[in-house]
Amino acid sequence: MTAAIFDAAAGLLACPCNESIERAQSSGRGIIGYFCSYLPVELITAAGLVPVRLRGAGSLDSGPADVFMSSRTCTYVRHALSLVLQGKYDFLSGAVCLNTCDHVRRAFDLFRHKSGLKFLGFVSVPRNARESLYAYYRQEIENLRGALEKHFGVEIDRQALSRAIVLHNRVRKRLAQLDSLRAADDGPMGGADLLAATVAALVMAPEDFLSLSEDWLLKIRPEDGLPAPRARLILAGGELDEPGWVAAVESLGARVVGDSLCTGMRAHQSLVDEDGSDPLEALCRRYFFQVSCARMIGNFSDRYESLMRALRERRADGIIFQRLKFCDPWGGDGHNLRLRARQEGIPILVLEREYGMLNTGQLKTRVQAFLEMIESRAGRSAGGADEVRSHAG
Amino acid sequence: MPADLFNAREWRVFSDTLPDLIRLLRADQRGHGILQLVSETWDYLGEVHDRYARGDPFVWYNLGFNPELVLALDGVGNICIESQAVMQNTLGDPALCHEFIDAAESAGVPADCCSADKAAIGAIMRGLYPEPACVVGINTPCDSQVLSTQAMAELSGKPFFIVDVPYYDDERTVSHVARQLGELLPFLERHTHRRLDWDRLREVCALSNQAIELIWEWLDWRRMVPLAQSSKLVAFTLAHQILFCGSPRGVRIAEALAREARERHQRGERFYEERLRAVWYQDPVWTDMQIYDWMERELGLSVPIDVFGFYAHEGLIDTSTPESMLSGLARKLCKCQPMSRQFRGNIETYIADFMHMHQAFKADCGIFAGHVACKHAWGGIGLFREACRRADIPLLVFEFDMFDARVTSREAVQTELRRFVEEVVWPAKQRKLRKEMR
Repeated sequence: MTAAIFDAAAGLLACPCNESIERAQSSGRGIIGYFCSYLPVELITAAGLVPVRLRGAGSLDSGPADVFMSSRTCTYVRHALSLVLQGKYDFLSGAVCLNTCDHVRRAFDLFRHKSGLKFLGFVSVPRNARESLYAYYRQEIENLRGALEKHFGVEIDRQALSRAIVLHNRVRKRLAQLDSLRAADDGPMGGADLLAATVAALVMAPEDFLSLSEDWLLKIRPEDGLPAPRARLILAGGELDEPGWVAAVESLGARVVGDSLCTGMRAHQSLVDEDGSDPLEALCRRYFFQVSCARMIGNFSDRYESLMRALRERRADGIIFQRLKFCDPWGGDGHNLRLRARQEGIPILVLEREYGMLNTGQLKTRVQAFLEMIESRAGRSAGGADEVRSHAG
Repeated sequence: MPADLFNAREWRVFSDTLPDLIRLLRADQRGHGILQLVSETWDYLGEVHDRYARGDPFVWYNLGFNPELVLALDGVGNICIESQAVMQNTLGDPALCHEFIDAAESAGVPADCCSADKAAIGAIMRGLYPEPACVVGINTPCDSQVLSTQAMAELSGKPFFIVDVPYYDDERTVSHVARQLGELLPFLERHTHRRLDWDRLREVCALSNQAIELIWEWLDWRRMVPLAQSSKLVAFTLAHQILFCGSPRGVRIAEALAREARERHQRGERFYEERLRAVWYQDPVWTDMQIYDWMERELGLSVPIDVFGFYAHEGLIDTSTPESMLSGLARKLCKCQPMSRQFRGNIETYIADFMHMHQAFKADCGIFAGHVACKHAWGGIGLFREACRRADIPLLVFEFDMFDARVTSREAVQTELRRFVEEVVWPAKQRKLRKEMR
């Protein structure tokens, strides 16, 4: 873990607001909160607004949302909604929700009835990424564009969209640069640092993130490589915006060298085509056909292949799959992933968690046992760790 | 899949008990509904057995789907993967359902997921359904279907078609789903090696319509005060739609349910001394259907309608053209199918249907029987409570698991119900009656 990113991002991520948001507000730009990686944030940027992914940052009590959503729903959504209901997100000019899952869908009901936000957009994303369903998604995004234009009195034209695409692609390229430092054998960055960076990119104006991350790159010295890890791991699953959770995993000597998280590199990994004549088309295609979230039915094999590719390319020893309690889509993926990984002899640890930094003692105990299992497998075989890695291939 | 599929104890439990149960039910000259339901279920199991023996292709699907398109392919069997959960709890051995749930959990399905789907996955893992030619998944009524359909596809290893139902409740949604049903047809033909005959589909849709009209008539009779037919029957509309709609069997069941309700009412029968009526919102107690008898007998509380039983008046399938049939089937899936109609979109539809049922079925209260895994329902509980409070409708909210009796005991559910009826609803009704008399 490098202080250059992790500690610097800690302040940014500790609460819903941050300096970048304050700066945007003071310059008259509106802020739009959103929940899901199927929202093309370029559309918000092109409208002259700042997209900010909703989080439960700093929330210690989900009570205000529990009143409406009970304790049988996802703690991520409940904490985020609690902050909204407590006025901690009062800086928002609006929010966009998607039919991501049952929890976000119900949060949208509460946004409409309880938040007082003046602009509320909604996008119904088809549940399967196939060509015949793409037109529906594109229409939804066009509808959202129209709603943004009407409410905020702006025009989201091709030029504005193209500029936003270029800007957000720069963010993706910067994150890819940081990601390559994480993946290197003796790289100076760990998984916690990278998650801090990817989450920071989701809660800042893109130009501010580019400036801040440039500063990080200047401070990171390749010669400050981290010690060789006990095991190189891929972290998979849905929402995880707490770098401290990854730091707890890495504190045991593991290194998270790759991820497939909604808030990690999965959300940032593919670029939007900048050369086409229809920027909205390029945008919609990138988002609809990205490496999918578990909410997309029938695309598990694509997700699995993407994970296997990461495992091979990053020479990882195993997978930690984490899921927020009550999340059905990722529950299904966890089942399928465990099934295939076991068939193929890939070490996998499936963890259930609540939002925030709870139960780190339990987390460490389980990760420690997992690392010992990986080490034991590697030690028993003639080829050492490579033997385990070869299973990943 | 075991070669002796139907010798498995999970199937044998039906052949060991259903013939006797049917004989027993025949003794009640007035109970056409339950008799027909059980007899036709037994007959359906026999058909599955015969098809399996003949080597007919099967199509699996999850509980948000209706089988008309499958039935229109001559000689193809339909299997809803949640059917073992319902059948074991209502007609077989609930302990077997617990075993399915435990098997799924030990294979990595999280404990907080829906027991209907855990049981479905457990049943698939045990090889209890004939191997399918292909599988169909639909994302309604809830997120749990995302889990069960993906597990179904993974465990079966068969070609998988997904029907996407959007969030909205509009004509664009119906058209979107109808287009996908148009895509689904060649998929089914390709994998079952059976051709679709549009005239055959027309017949299937006509049977589906006929059954729906009878269900509407049945529900109309259930609006009458007092309720002349058992409370527990109403939940079976959903099961009827999932397994039987579009078949002669589906018409016979609906006809028997309607006839029983009509004749009982016309004879002026009182099923028991009805004091109060409730809309049972959310999930039936499949693990213990006798609890409805207890409610009627002990509390004088009847359930004329529940969310699984309510079939909305959204029109019938127009059988005039292939396009109109696909559109009608899509409308059924989006706007009529119990649960899918209320659970998939915004909370307003959910609340509006409750208010409609409360008024139309002359209820005194609402009972939110909260299946622990229904996240969409728990996620909307605050707004639902507020709506009931505004409408001055007493509402009981409790937690249980509809397919796993180990989560909440019968006694705990009974205590909740008794307290609610005796301390809240009955006193409120008496106050209201006194006020009206003044």
